[in-house]
Amino acid sequence: MRVIDLGQRQLRRRDILALMGGAAAAGTLGLPAFAEEAKKGGVLKVAAPANPSSLDPATGGAGSDHSILWTMYDTLVEWDYETLKPKPGMAKWTFPDPKTMVLDITGGIKFHDGTTLDAEAVKFNLERNRSDQRSNVKPDLSSVESIEVTGPLQVTLKLKNPDSALPAILSDRAGMMVSPTNIKALGNDTDRKPIGAGPWKFVRWNDNEIIVVTRHEDYWRKGRPYLDGIEFNIITENATALRSVVAGQNDMAFQLPARLKPVIERAKNLTTVTSPTLYCIQLYFNYARAPLDNVKVRQAINFALDRDVFVKAALSGLGEPARMTLPSSHWAYNKDVANTYPHDPERAKKLLAEAGYKDGLELTIGGYTDQDSVRRGEVIQDQLGKAGIRLKFTRGTIAEISAQFFATEKKFDLLVSAWTGRPDPSMTYGLGFDKDAYYNAGRTADPELSRLIKESRASEDLSKRAEIFAKIQKITVETALSAPLAFQFELDALSAKVKGFKPNLLGKPKFENISLG
Amino acid sequence: MRKSARLRIVGRRLLQALPVVILSTFIVFGLLKLVPGDVAVTLAGDNASEQRIAEIREIYGLNQPLLVQYGSWLFKALHGDLSKSLISNEAVLTAIQRCLPHTILIVVLALLTALVIGIPLGIAAATKPGSWIDGFVMAIASLGVAVPNFWLGMLLVAFFSLQLNWLPATGAASLMKDPWVALSHAILPAVALASGGIAEVARQLRSSLVEILSSQQVRTLHAKGLPPSSILWRHGLKNVSVNLLTVVSLLANRMLAATVVVEAVFAIPGMGGLIVNAAMNRDFPVVQGVVFAMVLIVVCINLLTDILYSVLDPRISS
Repeated sequence: MRVIDLGQRQLRRRDILALMGGAAAAGTLGLPAFAEEAKKGGVLKVAAPANPSSLDPATGGAGSDHSILWTMYDTLVEWDYETLKPKPGMAKWTFPDPKTMVLDITGGIKFHDGTTLDAEAVKFNLERNRSDQRSNVKPDLSSVESIEVTGPLQVTLKLKNPDSALPAILSDRAGMMVSPTNIKALGNDTDRKPIGAGPWKFVRWNDNEIIVVTRHEDYWRKGRPYLDGIEFNIITENATALRSVVAGQNDMAFQLPARLKPVIERAKNLTTVTSPTLYCIQLYFNYARAPLDNVKVRQAINFALDRDVFVKAALSGLGEPARMTLPSSHWAYNKDVANTYPHDPERAKKLLAEAGYKDGLELTIGGYTDQDSVRRGEVIQDQLGKAGIRLKFTRGTIAEISAQFFATEKKFDLLVSAWTGRPDPSMTYGLGFDKDAYYNAGRTADPELSRLIKESRASEDLSKRAEIFAKIQKITVETALSAPLAFQFELDALSAKVKGFKPNLLGKPKFENISLG
Repeated sequence: MRKSARLRIVGRRLLQALPVVILSTFIVFGLLKLVPGDVAVTLAGDNASEQRIAEIREIYGLNQPLLVQYGSWLFKALHGDLSKSLISNEAVLTAIQRCLPHTILIVVLALLTALVIGIPLGIAAATKPGSWIDGFVMAIASLGVAVPNFWLGMLLVAFFSLQLNWLPATGAASLMKDPWVALSHAILPAVALASGGIAEVARQLRSSLVEILSSQQVRTLHAKGLPPSSILWRHGLKNVSVNLLTVVSLLANRMLAATVVVEAVFAIPGMGGLIVNAAMNRDFPVVQGVVFAMVLIVVCINLLTDILYSVLDPRISS
C-alpha cells in the first residue's frame, strides 16, 4: 500500500473527541494514561514496519520514513496531535501579505554536530529542498520565488502566488532541517550519516535490520527527550512484529493490520492503541477511457459499494466509512455531499443500463498481493458483483501494480489502493485529481476543478478555504472521480512499561512523549 | 587420486563457474527489467510526477540501454565493487557481509540438525524394514516433508518463545560478538528449516541402505558370520555415503533458497530478506549482488561435493 504524507489537519476539536469517544464506546480505543510523571532514561525497542527509503528527508520518498526521521530531525512547523493544525516548531511564521511568508527562528538551537540553527542554516535547507537535483520535495516548495535572510534568526520567503499550504508543508519533509556543515562535507552520503537538530541523534543504520538513535544532550527543549535512545528493529512482516512484542523482545509495534487486534488483546501485559487516521482506502479510476469515461459507470460503482459492510468485513470494524477523500472530522469535510452514494445496488444496475451495460460489464482492476489487500479486493469484488460489475484482478507488488496503473502502461480500469492524504487538502486534490497529476491515471481534469484547486491556496482564512474545498468535493464526488471506501484506524501494540504514548491523526507515531516506566 | 590432479579439477571447475556466475546475473538482470515496475517511481516517492520520475531515471542512468546498464554493473563487479543500493545508498558488499553470516549460520545448523536426527532415523528404519520402527520413521518423514517450514516456525515460536520464554522469537546476533546469543536466535529457525531435511535424509538413507543390506554381497557376509553391526558400518554405510553426500549437497542448496520464508517468520536480517526487499523495489544492484553471492556459494558447495565424491569413491572422478 502506498503511504503518502499528511501534515496539516485542522479538525474541530469536538469532532475529534466525538470520534474518539465513539470509538472508545465501541471498544476500539484504549489510550494509555498520560497523567503519570514521565521518568527519564531507558532505551525503547520498537518494531518498525519498513526500512527507510533514506535518512535524508529531502531525498527520501516513503511515508513510512517519518516516524524514524522525526527522532533525528525537528521541523520548522509542527502540528497539533488531534487536529493536525499547524503550530510553531523551531520557527514561528507570519504572512505580512499574501505573497510573503516570514519565519522567525527560535534562538539557541544546535544541530547534533554543534552547528547553529540560524537563518543561514534555514535558508540553506530551503534552497536545497527546492532546487537540489536529488530533492524529492521540490514540488512542495514550487510557490517560493526567493528566500532571503532578513535577520540572524529571520528568513523571508517571497512567493510567486499566495500559498496558504506552506505552514503545513513546512511541518513535513520540506521543514525538517539538516546540518549544512554535514551536507557540505559529505554531499550525497549524508543519508547514511544524518545530522539533524532533533531530540535524538543517529548512531547506526543496518538496512532491513536496525536503526539506533541516542539522546541529543544539547536538545533545545529543556528536560526532553525522556528516552535515552530508541532502537528501531525493522520487521516488515506484521505478525512477526507483533510476536516480537508479545515475546518481550520489542516494547512496541505500530501500524498493525486490524486482523491482529484479537492477538494483541489475548497477549498478557500488552496495551492496544487504536485511533482515527486519514489513511483512505479507495478505488482509483482511469476515467480517460471507456468504460470509466462514462460518469454513470463510475457512479454505479459508488452506489454498488456498501462502505459500512466494508469496514466490518475488511477492517474488522477498525475504520470509518469514507464518503469523500477527507474524513468527517476534517475541517474541510463537506457534509452536503456525504450522502451522495447510499448503498443501492438497484440504482447501480439502473445506471449501468442507462450507460448501455444492461447485462453488466467486466472491468480490469489492479491490487496488491499482501493478505489485507487481497481481503479488501474480495469484499469489493463481491459487492460490485451483486450490481453486475465483474472484476478481473491482477495482483502484484506495490511497485509493479502502481506503476502499471499510474505510469505510462495504463493497464487497468481501476486500482484498489490507498491515499493517506497530504499536509494540506489542496495537495490531496491537486495530486489526485488535477490535470497531469501522477495519481490521476487518466491525466484529464475539468478546468473548473483545476481552477478551484489553485484558488484553494489563495487565502489563509480557513472558512473561505473550506468553502472552496466544498466546491471541489462536490465536483469530485458527484462526478465520481474515485470511490473512497474507508479511513483505516491506526492499531499499535505496547508493552506495559511504555508510558505516555499519544497517537496522532496522521497515523505515524512520534516518540517525544514516551517514557519507560 | 593424486593431489595435483585434484587441484587441477578444482581450478578447472572454478574457471567453468565464472561464466555460470556471469550468465546467472545477466538472466536475473534481464528478468528484473522485464517485470513491470520501476525503481524510479519508488525513488521519486510520494511526490512522484512524470517529470520527476524522468529526472531520476537520468540521475541514476536508468534510461540507458539495458546492455550498457548491465555492462557497467559487471565491469564494476569484476573489479570488486558491487555498487550501492539505489534505494538506501548502502554499499551492496557491506549489506552482503552483514546479512550472509546470519543466513549461513541457520543453514549450517539446519543441515547439522537434519543429519544428526535424520541419519539415526534412517538407519533404524533400514535395519528393520517393514517393522513398526520403519513405519514410524516413514510416517515422521512424510510429515516432515508435508509440513511447511514457515508454519512449523510459527508453532515453534508459539511454544518455545511465547509460552516457555526459552528462546527469542525474532532477530539475530553476530556469532563472532555474541556466540551464545547468536545460537539462541538461530536454533528455532534452523529446526524449522531442518524439518524437510530430516525427512529427506532419513528416507534416502533408508532406501539406499535397504537396497545394499539385501544385496547378494551382504548376504554372503552374513553367511560368513560377520557381526551385523560391522556389516552395517563397514559395508552398508560406507557404500551409501556417496548417496548421502548428494542428498546433503542438494539440501544445502535448497535450504539456502528456503531461508527467504524462514527469515521472514523470524525477522532475521539475512540474505532472504535482503533480496526480497530489493526485488520488490526493483533495486537491481542489490538483487544482482545477492545473486552473485548466492551463485558463488552454490558453486562452492557443488565443488566441495565433487571433491568429497572423489575422496569417498575415487572411481567417480577418474
